[in-house]
Amino acid sequence: MAPSQNLEAEGITRRRSLAALAGAGALALAGCTQSSGDGGSGGDGSGDGSGDGGDSLSGSINIAGSSTVFPLMSAVMEDFAEEHPGIDPTISSTGSGGGFSNYFCVGETDFNNASRPIQPEEEQLCADNGVEYIELIAATDALTVVVNPEADWIDSLTVEELATIWESDAVETWDEVRNEFPNEEIERYGAADTSGTYDYFIESVLGERGHTSDYQATEQDNNIATGVAGSEYAIGYFGFAYYFQNPDQLKALGIDSGDGPVEPSLETASNGEYTPLSRPLFTYPSMESLGNEHVAEFARYFVEQTTNEDLVAGDVGYVPATEETQEEQSQKLEDAIEQAQG
Amino acid sequence: MATDDSNAAGFGEVSRVRGIAFEYLSLGASVAGLVALGVLLVYVAIDAFDLANASPEWLLTYFLTLVVPFLLFCLYSAGDPAVTRRVAGVLGGGLVVVAAAFAAIEAFVVTIPRLSWQLAYLFVVVAPTTAYLAYVGSRGRVGAVGFGLLGRLVGGVAIGLAVGTLFLVFDELVWFLAYTLGVLPAAALYAYGSRRAANRAVTAAIPVGLVGLVAAVFLRGVVGTYPSDLIIYLWTLAVPIAAVGAFLVDARGSRVGAAVVGGVPLALATAGGFLAGSVGLPGPTTLIVIALTGVPTAVYVHRVIDGGDGVVGLGLPLLIGGGVLVGALVVEAWGVPAPDPWLDPGYVTEAPSRTAAEAGLYPAIVGSVIIIALVAVLSFVLGVGTSVFLEEYTAGSGVVGSLTRLLQINIANLAAIPSVVYGLLGLGLFANLLGFGYGTAVTASLTLSLLILPITIISAQEAIRSVPDDLRRGSDAMGATRWQTTKNVVLPEAFPGILTGTILALGRAIGETAPLIMIGAATTVFSAPTSLFSRFSAMPMQIYAWAGFPQADFRYGVVAAGVITLLIILVGMNGTAILLRNRAERGN
Repeated sequence: MAPSQNLEAEGITRRRSLAALAGAGALALAGCTQSSGDGGSGGDGSGDGSGDGGDSLSGSINIAGSSTVFPLMSAVMEDFAEEHPGIDPTISSTGSGGGFSNYFCVGETDFNNASRPIQPEEEQLCADNGVEYIELIAATDALTVVVNPEADWIDSLTVEELATIWESDAVETWDEVRNEFPNEEIERYGAADTSGTYDYFIESVLGERGHTSDYQATEQDNNIATGVAGSEYAIGYFGFAYYFQNPDQLKALGIDSGDGPVEPSLETASNGEYTPLSRPLFTYPSMESLGNEHVAEFARYFVEQTTNEDLVAGDVGYVPATEETQEEQSQKLEDAIEQAQG
Repeated sequence: MATDDSNAAGFGEVSRVRGIAFEYLSLGASVAGLVALGVLLVYVAIDAFDLANASPEWLLTYFLTLVVPFLLFCLYSAGDPAVTRRVAGVLGGGLVVVAAAFAAIEAFVVTIPRLSWQLAYLFVVVAPTTAYLAYVGSRGRVGAVGFGLLGRLVGGVAIGLAVGTLFLVFDELVWFLAYTLGVLPAAALYAYGSRRAANRAVTAAIPVGLVGLVAAVFLRGVVGTYPSDLIIYLWTLAVPIAAVGAFLVDARGSRVGAAVVGGVPLALATAGGFLAGSVGLPGPTTLIVIALTGVPTAVYVHRVIDGGDGVVGLGLPLLIGGGVLVGALVVEAWGVPAPDPWLDPGYVTEAPSRTAAEAGLYPAIVGSVIIIALVAVLSFVLGVGTSVFLEEYTAGSGVVGSLTRLLQINIANLAAIPSVVYGLLGLGLFANLLGFGYGTAVTASLTLSLLILPITIISAQEAIRSVPDDLRRGSDAMGATRWQTTKNVVLPEAFPGILTGTILALGRAIGETAPLIMIGAATTVFSAPTSLFSRFSAMPMQIYAWAGFPQADFRYGVVAAGVITLLIILVGMNGTAILLRNRAERGN
């Protein structure tokens, strides 16, 4: 403890210095002021587009749905958000079905991505909650069947052979698929039953015959790739993007639907030769959201970008839409926007 | 021989084999986990900093300019020839052993992927040796001064960044009014009261502060004109910090020192804030960082120079900074091929991108920091409140006692519930019923607070229970009320233990993904949250999404950089809490 006289002396100087500081502060206050709008800078974020450089678009855009469409949607959104700093977008990768039932059909999200068309029970749920929507084609994917690069005994499969491998009453060994294949057990790696990829594979290849349960099911393409890369007698299927980005890691099989084997590529998928495994990917904007100008503008931008080869094919690994499809989608969208903003 | 046998039987000799076997098994068990984790972290670090592509020349350059001077500094501080000999032996011998072992493994067993013997030497020998030396060196006066200064610099920057991040979400205009009307008058009253022993002033401080806060919230809607952001931060943060610094120095009797310690950082912060604004950096954050770094550093430097002991240690930051600079110059001048790390300034300041090279984690970092700050406050208040009630206020017997025990059992069981269930609770209660919204920062913080609440309560209870009963009885005997005993005796004693529990719980909360998915937190956002009710993404969410990307660059480089960032923030958070705890322990 210092002596009390000292304290007195210090007290006075401190009071003086405080006064000086306050004076300086007051001067500064007079110099630089800001006026606050009703929201304030920490406010709700929508509405005041101050400092956006004259860009009038602002507001949030919430997107959920398919993990397959997720990379494409985030790539498009990245560019859109860069052009319009007032936009506050969020994208969640929830799976097609999860997105519809948990978020979209209860009116929580503006868009839902899907790697298959919306299903009847989801339509019902949306209708019950009064959520209207339109369907837009985002891109085309080529479901790719892969084997180990060491497996030089196999280059292609017919659709029927593929079905015997994956149907619910599936064959055990490779030589049961085709006689000249080795007598080794088949190891299967595929999409989990929550995934749109699984639904599409059943619909296009297996039909009534059902999907085998004797396989390693996963939502992550990486796990399928690791599994197939680990064994010469393994087979797996997933979206084209993974194979496109890692072509040396795995071997893609040609699929023979009657006109000879066709290997998956951006070209064969877009000109329709790669059947039946090329599939459209969708996004579903809700009509109510399209009534907002910033959401409508993003939807227009998205449709415009679906033909952008660098982005869709180069960066993400899907097949861009044709000019014709784009024209159609654009028309559909404009009609919907007009109706929504009516 | 026969006699020996009977003797042995007579004394009941026990075999020590089992004991020894158990000892080594325990050692093996403890080492196995640590080694596995260590190897994983080494590989994550190699990926994040692209060390696999670091040329030996590059490693050697920085080893000579950065590591060797640091080691010499520590050796100088330790001033013990035995330590010097030991370290020289380990570094030299380790070089030979690691190189030989590495070559042998590569030749006869397996090839070791993405690791050269130089890197192995750095991780296996140099890193532990440096850590050991830093520990030994910090016990010498010079080392203590050096690390003290370094800690204040790094800590100031970290806390400044955290505070700056929080103001992205909180309304700084409310803070301005609250500070001016509530915090400042209350603090002034309190300071005045305790200096002049005027109890009435001290008592009045809290009501005055509360009235000021309420007035601030009310006036926020009325007042239309405010000072600019920089002035607000200057007035509410930089000036008070500088004033406290100056006061601390002043109390040691140095008027001039006080002016310098308070004034220089304040001037620097003001200049920095305005300059940063003009070069595109966020001005307010720069101002806060400089103020929070500068003042404690200046106070510390003044104290060391005043004391005159270990002044040389103040050169440590210069030594390190100089080492980095010289290393960079050498690399530049001789064209040494340098690695291209994923974890670079762009990574922590930019938004996610579809290309790995441009991908950034900034929005997710801000999201995580904001959530964890809220969780820390909520779970601390709720956890300490519950545990104080359970330990100090409830009766041990009768109906209330049974109820307490029931509550106790339920809390213990809550700790074992899977985090997904808490996610469901958050979705149902906070997002749907209370309407805080899907995937908003508020919903996330409330959910995560509930998730870690049982852990906080149980550890706080343990800490309170470990306060000796004698202290309570002593306090009672002095005529203290239960509230006074709790406030003055129990809580200060238990504080370090409570903090330890909270730190561990927060570490769990920041890494949680499952509950965030359940409440609908976004996987990817492109801008930092602007309010507590805006949607956000957190680091684990974004890292998990990247791990599923098809491009190998994402799965290895970008994910690894994310993991390292998460770890750095976690360690920073824990470090702060540990410092607080140590201070509290010393205070006792």
